[in-house]
Amino acid sequence: MTRRSVLGEVREVQLAIQLIQLGARLQFLEAEVGLSRERLIRLYKEIKGVSPPKGLLPFSTDWYMTWLANIHSSMFYNMYQFMKIHSDEEKVWILIKSYKLYLQQIAAQDSEPILDFTRAYTMVRFFDSDMLQLSTCCRCSGQFVAHAHDHKSGYVCVLCRPPSRAGKARGAKRGAAGEATTLGIEGMGFGVEAAPGGAGLH
Amino acid sequence: METDNVMSVANGEISREIGDINLAYMLLAQKLVKQDRVAAMFRLGVSSELADMLAGMSLAQIVKLAASNFLLCSFRLDEHASMSAVVGEGKDTMLQQAHMSILMSARSLQTRKAAVAA
Repeated sequence: MTRRSVLGEVREVQLAIQLIQLGARLQFLEAEVGLSRERLIRLYKEIKGVSPPKGLLPFSTDWYMTWLANIHSSMFYNMYQFMKIHSDEEKVWILIKSYKLYLQQIAAQDSEPILDFTRAYTMVRFFDSDMLQLSTCCRCSGQFVAHAHDHKSGYVCVLCRPPSRAGKARGAKRGAAGEATTLGIEGMGFGVEAAPGGAGLH
Repeated sequence: METDNVMSVANGEISREIGDINLAYMLLAQKLVKQDRVAAMFRLGVSSELADMLAGMSLAQIVKLAASNFLLCSFRLDEHASMSAVVGEGKDTMLQQAHMSILMSARSLQTRKAAVAA
């Protein structure tokens, strides 16, 4: 290991603290922060009070296509793109800033963040490796997350044409009040239902 | 004669209201830019040059600029299609906000692209 300045190390620790607080996983920390694995684990335990979760990072692009997830992902990626263009900071700081902006936006709407930090980071990587693209909706001209190489012409977004059950299920959920765990499963349902309709139109 | 009088009073009131909104808008914009430049650019939909200018303006300059018959801020969803997409009938508040955020950011990127191309 090369010798590093004390100040540089402090900066790395600060970065790690920010990332852990936002919910970054250990794999991401190892890739982005210049600290040893042992120190990162210790830091993680001190901040979160628990050991970092083991297991793989999410690896499927399909998650981003489900109804509510697609809305949140598109919201975040639009912010990220804006930040990337206008900010001259390091990539990881741009990610942190745009994720915080996303959280602020969600808090202002009084709703729960659907896209966690790991998902957000994985999505940026999917975009970088050309597995996802932004498609422009032909009705509202907003840009939405879509699979790479999907048809771009005639694309209608999930907000202009929500899947048929979307509104109803949301209403039912509000009646049941605050069951965050069911959210993911419902989202999946929309995604599966939305697929045949979307495919038929292209 | 009397109706003319009423009209001019109403007009004076309206320009004062416009002036108030202008002042509030400019002060808020400056506060946002000073807090976090890039986040402010995102929220306000202004270019980096304009953001720098806003940050550097004195109170006297702002007051002078605000005292006008014209609104300094304008509709950002200036197309009927996007406006009606966001407003929609019976749309959930959260969805409406999310849609707005997506459209706003797409818009600021488009204007930037146009500026680069020109």
